[in-house]
Amino acid sequence: MATLGKIARRTFLVGAAALAGGVAFGAWYVARPYANPLEEGLAEGEATFNPFLKIGSDDTITVIAPRAEMGQGISTTLAAFVAEELDVPLARLTVEHGPTSWAYYNGTMMEESGPFPWYEEGFVAELARDAFATVGKVLGLQATGGSASSRDGFVRMREAGAMARMMLVEAAAGRLDVARGELTTRDGAVVHEASGRSLTYGELALDAAKLSPPSRVTLKERGDWKLLGKPQMRVDMLPKVTGAPIFGVDVWLPEMLFGTVRMNPVFWQRTANVDLSAAQAVPGVVKIVPLQTTYGHGFGVIAQNTWAAFRAADLIEADWGAPAYPADAAAVDAVLTTALDTEQGSVMREDGDVEADFADAPRERLVEAEYAAPFLAHFCMEPMNATALYRDGKLEIWAPNQMPTLVEYLSGAAIGLGSKDVTAHTTFLGGGFGRREVDTTIYAALMAREVEGRPVKVIWSREEDVRHDTYRPAAKGRFRARLDEDGLPVALDMKIAAPSIIGSVMRRTFPSLSPAGPDGTITQGSHDQPYTIASYRVSGVKADLGIPVGFWRSVGNSFNGFFHECFMDEIAEAGGLDPVQLRRNLMGDFPAALAVVDRVAEMSDWASPATDGRAKGFAFTLSFGSWVAEVVEVVETDDGVRIEKVWIAVDVGTALDPGIIEAQLVSGAVFGLSSAMNQEITLKDGRVEQSNLHDFDAMRIHQCPEFEVAILENHHKMGGVGEIGTPPAVAALANAVSRLKGKRFRTLPLSKEVAFA
Amino acid sequence: MRRFALALSLAALSGLAVAQDDAPADPVAGETRVDRETGLPHWRKIHEVFSHSRCANCHVEDERPRWSGAHYGATRIHAFNVQRGGDGSGFGNPGQRCMTCHMETNSPRPHGPPGAPHWHLAPAEMVWWEKSSAEICAQIKDPERNGGRTLAEVADHVREDALVRWGWQPGAGREPAPGSAEETYEAILAWQAAGAPCPDQ
Amino acid sequence: MRLTVDRKQIEINADPDMPLLWALRDLAGVLGPKFGCGIAACGACTVLIDGQPVRSCVTPVGAVEGDVVTIEGLAEGDTLHPVQQAWLEEQVAQCGYCQAGQIMSAVALLEEIDDPTDADIDNAMGGNLCRCGTYPKIRAAIKKAAALKMARA
Repeated sequence: MATLGKIARRTFLVGAAALAGGVAFGAWYVARPYANPLEEGLAEGEATFNPFLKIGSDDTITVIAPRAEMGQGISTTLAAFVAEELDVPLARLTVEHGPTSWAYYNGTMMEESGPFPWYEEGFVAELARDAFATVGKVLGLQATGGSASSRDGFVRMREAGAMARMMLVEAAAGRLDVARGELTTRDGAVVHEASGRSLTYGELALDAAKLSPPSRVTLKERGDWKLLGKPQMRVDMLPKVTGAPIFGVDVWLPEMLFGTVRMNPVFWQRTANVDLSAAQAVPGVVKIVPLQTTYGHGFGVIAQNTWAAFRAADLIEADWGAPAYPADAAAVDAVLTTALDTEQGSVMREDGDVEADFADAPRERLVEAEYAAPFLAHFCMEPMNATALYRDGKLEIWAPNQMPTLVEYLSGAAIGLGSKDVTAHTTFLGGGFGRREVDTTIYAALMAREVEGRPVKVIWSREEDVRHDTYRPAAKGRFRARLDEDGLPVALDMKIAAPSIIGSVMRRTFPSLSPAGPDGTITQGSHDQPYTIASYRVSGVKADLGIPVGFWRSVGNSFNGFFHECFMDEIAEAGGLDPVQLRRNLMGDFPAALAVVDRVAEMSDWASPATDGRAKGFAFTLSFGSWVAEVVEVVETDDGVRIEKVWIAVDVGTALDPGIIEAQLVSGAVFGLSSAMNQEITLKDGRVEQSNLHDFDAMRIHQCPEFEVAILENHHKMGGVGEIGTPPAVAALANAVSRLKGKRFRTLPLSKEVAFA
Repeated sequence: MRRFALALSLAALSGLAVAQDDAPADPVAGETRVDRETGLPHWRKIHEVFSHSRCANCHVEDERPRWSGAHYGATRIHAFNVQRGGDGSGFGNPGQRCMTCHMETNSPRPHGPPGAPHWHLAPAEMVWWEKSSAEICAQIKDPERNGGRTLAEVADHVREDALVRWGWQPGAGREPAPGSAEETYEAILAWQAAGAPCPDQ
Repeated sequence: MRLTVDRKQIEINADPDMPLLWALRDLAGVLGPKFGCGIAACGACTVLIDGQPVRSCVTPVGAVEGDVVTIEGLAEGDTLHPVQQAWLEEQVAQCGYCQAGQIMSAVALLEEIDDPTDADIDNAMGGNLCRCGTYPKIRAAIKKAAALKMARA
């Protein structure tokens, strides 16, 4: 287990990122509460109680759910926090994303940035969590990520509701001239049962908001919850079934122009010998703008409609230059292999003495394997886009984004404005998965400046979207285990090489700072798993490939889950143990893990013997604070391998909305299965080869398995849900297919060697 | 869009239903002496066209059209679970017709759907996909399996039908069928004149 | 150029080669159909033309004859179409971006098959991609919609 001494020797990359952000935002006020951004722009008769709540005299109750709604259902759960304590039915609320503000910082997202596994709760680990949470607050980092939004809002937003309820009761007590204790709240009103009188929140709001907030609030006991813990109707469902204009691409402003971008297919390269004549000749083209940014170089095309912009973008001729990075799959593999061969890397877990254990290991007790995973695109259904308006020295941006404070800062900086002159509006996201960075808004800002006074809606073609992603890193791992006489591992050594995600993000966002130190994402999902093995070492090697990489649903877990859990299967096989039994043997110290393993084994009837042409695979990954075990069943058909059924058992600690949690687990698994079956991004001459669904498809309805999900609540800490379904799905599928075919598959996607129906 | 209803009725008229009609007389027998030496080179030309991906991908025995070309890997089953159609019409299924995506003209976008009027699968009995030259040859001569056509009518069909002609104008990024509609028309007539010999394999 | 969209006549000035999707979205302000791939491979742009499903991103607007119905034209006043109602009750959508297209394909399916089997659903919906993986709920909602539709008829 990590000790203070080991920690002290490391500087963590995220610390550098935090420093960069802190300097940038100038928001270094740990103790001071942020101002309530709702105070500006209140309508007549409207009162605000805190940054999360407005109540109007007409009984309109508006809750601010300040996290990006990208399908994960967060607007519903965050609204339910406030509604629960305020005693208002969810359907009565108006839920808005709200303005961009430091007040909506996400502390929890940073909390697990330290080197401690989720289950480690010693003094040092907790100290680190507090410190990183403070970083989130200090930065005023309004961000959605890390499967952290519910955990982050759980206390703060329930307190916001409870506080407002107390103020409303106090105002009613004054108005009705009764003691506070005689009043109750129900369905958006304060009720005096004894006299049968009641006042609605709307009638009380203006008075109540003037009272000073209570210094202490008591939250409901879990047993008293009416909304939380039960499936709710999502607040975003009606607009989504009626085609309402809620997404970034649907922004509609007076005098609006349309645009797209054509970025250099060779990353980072500038263009030469540019010929814009054919592009400019396309009817409807207004202006073609060179774009030179930290994300890359290319052109923005502004036109009267998107179609004209797309056509013109296709016609831009230029010498795009040659790549200054590994230009194809073989070169990428060579860099990763060399990194594994020659570099020690950072040891992220070190139990026992691995070197000694392997030094005298008998050959027949050794298991060794090498695994590889490719780059992946996010392929959000809503292609990258942003709308910008530059007028009178101020910039306004509308975009599906996951970090509006950063959008304001960096998009403004791109055209020489400070954050105070930039306003970012967050729309619904047509998928996010970690892709929604600030390139879209930087390009839109640069383009808007060229047509001052008119908004430009910039939508990327799908081809641009696929070829200019911030990819899930390619990674390679080398694994060895020493087994004892019972087939159990006594020593396990894992070494993983991958580009640093944090380093790549920094290069794009704060290029003047050079990130140093290990990047925990490289081994995330391998170094932090709840297995007890006497000697257990996990090292990560940063292999800078120079190809833009970023956060992709479940981040490092997306490939480490595959590496770790497939290698566990190999250990089981070599030791003659059942894969589930092996896990049970090694997870004895972790009851939450054991419980999901047992549950999924029971659900899937794991113990029953396999039949011909059918196989099941198992995998477990603890990520983002949740414990997930999955079993995937595959069957051989005339058209190829078909994924027939998936069983999932998950422990999230506290299940706030079982309906949404189940949907997220299925969603995460489908996302992982899609990637494991078919997806890879490859380079040729330094350019991404894939461009659209003909060569980067994802699972379709006819390929989708049946799902069965069990939600457990054994662990005492609440975990996330948005990403956790993905890692074990990848590994469980690979394990199932390996069993089905009687051959071990160690490279993704599996379609390299196996046809899927 | 009226074109769909129109297409279905055209399909019905154009021989899809002819198999149930009285079969016309054998188009070859009794007309010409078979001259293999003259005829087979013509057949080879015809076969090169019929077995080309642009043609064979939609002349399949099963329910699934095929895809092939650069960026598609090896020839594979058309994505999206596209099927011949439960009614056997070849126009796809309710909710997902061929013409849901395939318009009357090629999409100008790279890898966009190619287009021609009445896009649909050939009837299952007109199978060319993964068939030998001899098998395709036998098929095309058999009125039971060629839409009830004489060889002259087959030649006309190749020259006149917009969907067939698409094979030579498949749009950017796709390899066209060899030769041209006109050359193939002439090859069929010349092959017929030589007694329409079929290869052994 | 005159089009009938969601029972309304609209007049637009478009290059006949412009895809219907962009004519609807950029020129007519009909934002329900979504842009996803531009090559008829994801289904997000699906509309009905004379009742048949069509990917509007590859349909030249000049070739459109017939009545166009988008997701915005399905409900009758405040009454949702049975497919929309079923989507709401089954809580199908996650990010929601593909759902306009999913719903239009499902509407087209149910126009021709009252009581679709799982295979009918697979055959109709394979062209509609959902990255959030809502497929199990889409399947359930189509079955529910079939029942709702029959009950209303």
